Amino acid sequence: MQKNEAASSRERGIRIRVNGQWRDFALGDDLSASTTLAYLLRERLGFTGLKVSCDEGACGACTVLEDGAAVLSCMVLAVEADGHDIQTIEGLPADDPVVEAFAEQSEPGFGTALQCGYCTPGFVMTARALLNANPSPTLAEVKEALGGNICRCGCYAGIARAVLNASAKIAARKAGAAAPGGRA
Amino acid sequence: MSEGFTQRVPRKFLGKYRPKIDGQEKASGKAKYADDLTIKSRFPDLLYARVLHSPHPHARIRGFDSSKAEALPGVVAILTYKDPAIAALKLTNAGWTDCVDTVPWDRMMFQYRDRRVLGEYAAWVGDEMGFAVAAESEEIAEEALRLIDIDWEVLPFVLDPIAAMRPDAPLVHQDLFATNVLPPDPTGGQDVFEDKGDVDADFARAEVVVEGRSIHHNATQGSMDNWCCLVDWKADQLTVWSNSYAADQLRMHIHEMLGLPLHKIRAIASYVGGQFGRGDTGDQPFFLFTALLAKKAGRPVKYRHNRRESFLNSRQPAIYDCKAGARRDGTITSMYFKSIGNVGAYADLSMFALKFVPKELAEMVLAHIPNLRMESYGVYTNGLPGCMMRGVGNSQFNLIFGHMIDLLAERLGMDPIDLCVKNFAHEWESLPSASLDAVLREGAKRIGWESRHLPGKGEPYEGVKRRGIGFSMHPAWHAEWQEKRRGQVQVSMTLNPDCTVLLNAASIEIGGGSNTCNVLGCAEALGFLGIGVGDIHWTSVVDTNDGIKDCVQTDSAVSFLQSEVMMHSARDIKERLREIAAAHLKLRPEQVDFAEGRILSPALPSLSMTVKELLRKGDMAPITVNKSLAPDTTPTGIPFFANFAEVEVDTSTGKVDVLKLIVVNDCGTVMYASGAEGQQIGGQCMGMGEALTEEIIYDKATGIPLNFNWIDYTIPTMADMPDIDPVLLEVWKGVGEYGACGIGEGTVTCTPRAILNAIYNAIGVRVNDIPIKPEKIISALGKG
Repeated sequence: MQKNEAASSRERGIRIRVNGQWRDFALGDDLSASTTLAYLLRERLGFTGLKVSCDEGACGACTVLEDGAAVLSCMVLAVEADGHDIQTIEGLPADDPVVEAFAEQSEPGFGTALQCGYCTPGFVMTARALLNANPSPTLAEVKEALGGNICRCGCYAGIARAVLNASAKIAARKAGAAAPGGRA
Repeated sequence: MSEGFTQRVPRKFLGKYRPKIDGQEKASGKAKYADDLTIKSRFPDLLYARVLHSPHPHARIRGFDSSKAEALPGVVAILTYKDPAIAALKLTNAGWTDCVDTVPWDRMMFQYRDRRVLGEYAAWVGDEMGFAVAAESEEIAEEALRLIDIDWEVLPFVLDPIAAMRPDAPLVHQDLFATNVLPPDPTGGQDVFEDKGDVDADFARAEVVVEGRSIHHNATQGSMDNWCCLVDWKADQLTVWSNSYAADQLRMHIHEMLGLPLHKIRAIASYVGGQFGRGDTGDQPFFLFTALLAKKAGRPVKYRHNRRESFLNSRQPAIYDCKAGARRDGTITSMYFKSIGNVGAYADLSMFALKFVPKELAEMVLAHIPNLRMESYGVYTNGLPGCMMRGVGNSQFNLIFGHMIDLLAERLGMDPIDLCVKNFAHEWESLPSASLDAVLREGAKRIGWESRHLPGKGEPYEGVKRRGIGFSMHPAWHAEWQEKRRGQVQVSMTLNPDCTVLLNAASIEIGGGSNTCNVLGCAEALGFLGIGVGDIHWTSVVDTNDGIKDCVQTDSAVSFLQSEVMMHSARDIKERLREIAAAHLKLRPEQVDFAEGRILSPALPSLSMTVKELLRKGDMAPITVNKSLAPDTTPTGIPFFANFAEVEVDTSTGKVDVLKLIVVNDCGTVMYASGAEGQQIGGQCMGMGEALTEEIIYDKATGIPLNFNWIDYTIPTMADMPDIDPVLLEVWKGVGEYGACGIGEGTVTCTPRAILNAIYNAIGVRVNDIPIKPEKIISALGKG
């Protein structure tokens, strides 16, 4: 009986590693089997970088990384994330090359990589996942990887450019780190 | 890579290619939007509101039983249409102003008061009506709504505007209007709202007469940041956090409808995730019932639309007919436009699109056509309400306008570019318009216009594919003189004793980049202080308790209106500094000047003192200048812009691929080059979506919209968009230091028509009702 209760208690809780820190959640109150990962991250933990815009997997604004791969957090149940490693945009380092490239994008002919900025965290995280897997993508590969994200302001040209610039930054940092006397 | 544009007048900060000032904040996910500012951890006692959305296109509630809902644990407050606080509310409208101005209820721009706040009538599927619930969670509130037993009187409905005009059609507002056709109003004017010369006589004698029709559908804004508000109303103080882009008007709306004095209402907003005209000016009934729920519950109440509910309004679908007469030499002598617009369930600002804008266009582009008639009818139907949307009215007009140009030029055997330059200019310039000529020639050069083939006569690709090019042009909006209705533009500038600056140029940032323009404009205006962008503090938060009117992001004019005012603020700051320096140096103020942060005086040639050093010797009090200026209304006309498109049409499947888009804007003065090009590029996404894929589809049998989601309502993604070439020019100039003109809103306007003319050039058959889905091409080719 006691053993069953203990098992039941464990089953009624989840453990997720968010931005490097393990977090425990008990099911109950506003956390149920149908609670989405997006809700948990925003409302319980205050990681409001990700946005819930469509809440049905159609826009990409809620994208986070699960074990390094991009997932739509509105389509992942919190209980499904049990035991997994989640990274939100808040978990990126301050000098993340993708964030930098999106923020800086301004060269002639491409516009900026963001206007209203609502879709931006989703694009950044999708791009981050792409570059984790493929550090030097072609333009076609960028379009393929980011084709599931909507930017209603229409900054696609600037976004694609920013991803390629981020790729160049990653390569430059790697070269700098590899070179004798280069920065770590 | 593009070389970018060259400034007519070299400037230090304005007009450059540089990052957005909010780029880092947004790219790192730190920027806070209404939904982020109103999470439960910030308001631990907040409640969530849900409201009944009508399941019927036309119905009335006869009675109800809400006892089960009231008994549901977690339900804190329920409002119904019978609640005295609701029943006492005045009939209203969701677009009191076109947003440049702030107005009370009795001065709304178009006086159609057809909306009941939480009323018992449903006029479309999705209408927010009848019952609103505040509960501990959204799920409980939803469940409570389901538990309300409603006795519906389901009424006949009408979706098609032509059918709605028939005498036997079901009346959308049977208790308010005897017909579905909107009566003429003082702002929009009579049905025939423009009648110059004698078009009938001219058609009778014209050497060439052509007639055309275009049909524009109901595209929707698709802002990603769903409507969201949180209202806290305790004792007599009401505070509302929201993503309305018009803080001052939101405060006025609540004041007028709920009777609180203005100093007891505080409206706060920060970044807004895209606006595009949604919700007109934000005089939305949901602010009112959310507020009344908060009052009843005694706790803050949050109401946020889900994606489906964010399909709240659309561009007015419009059927345009046009007849044009010309001489064989290409002189257009007469044009007659007639439109029938589907305003949907509520009139709001629809006649702005159908009459006000075309009336403006009569001055801005058709001023030299001697005989001109314009006629319009707005028609109620039981569909999504028409509304402001980026390119309001202009998009529908350009679809027919660019068609008539192409049609007439073909009939005359004339290049349509030459036809435009020969005939179109604004009222305050003579033909030809230098601005129009410049944008068309530049676009033509870049698309390869000279090598264009005859319609349908190009070489086929891969056997079944045909390519073609086309263009459309339009006057830009708005220049400073057109912003008269906006009233005072207010800016507060404070110079700290360490020569840093606090800037309050209140304007809710919706993505257009006016905040960047304002900071650059401030740095430019204070150039004599030798300061940089990093020395200026600005805030994304607009709060009506700051006592400054927010300059609402409409007409794309905020990018320069506040910067023009800052030139005056800077002059005042300079005068104050002169007085301080003169007193300290024992000189007369006119003997002192400043450059790059240093004090200069011919009377003291060896003086070596910075402004910062001067201020450090004084009382350390900040110097604040509050400037409030009305726009200069000297009419200067406007510049023009043009879009060129290259398409490839698969004649076997009907699929249209846009291969290239060129966008040429004469800006007057480019305020922020990267932002301007971002607007040019971004607008193509919305314009191309409207032209090819975006469309709201109804089940005609039930009146239920079928695609209120982003899987079936298809917004272009990165994978769909072609290469876009943004081109900025500075040819025309308006009043003031910069004399700029808005470009952002307009960039969507010409895209559909440029694509349609390119399709005609490709396949030799015209399709004029958008969106151009493959079946329309197949049908036009006679293969359907």
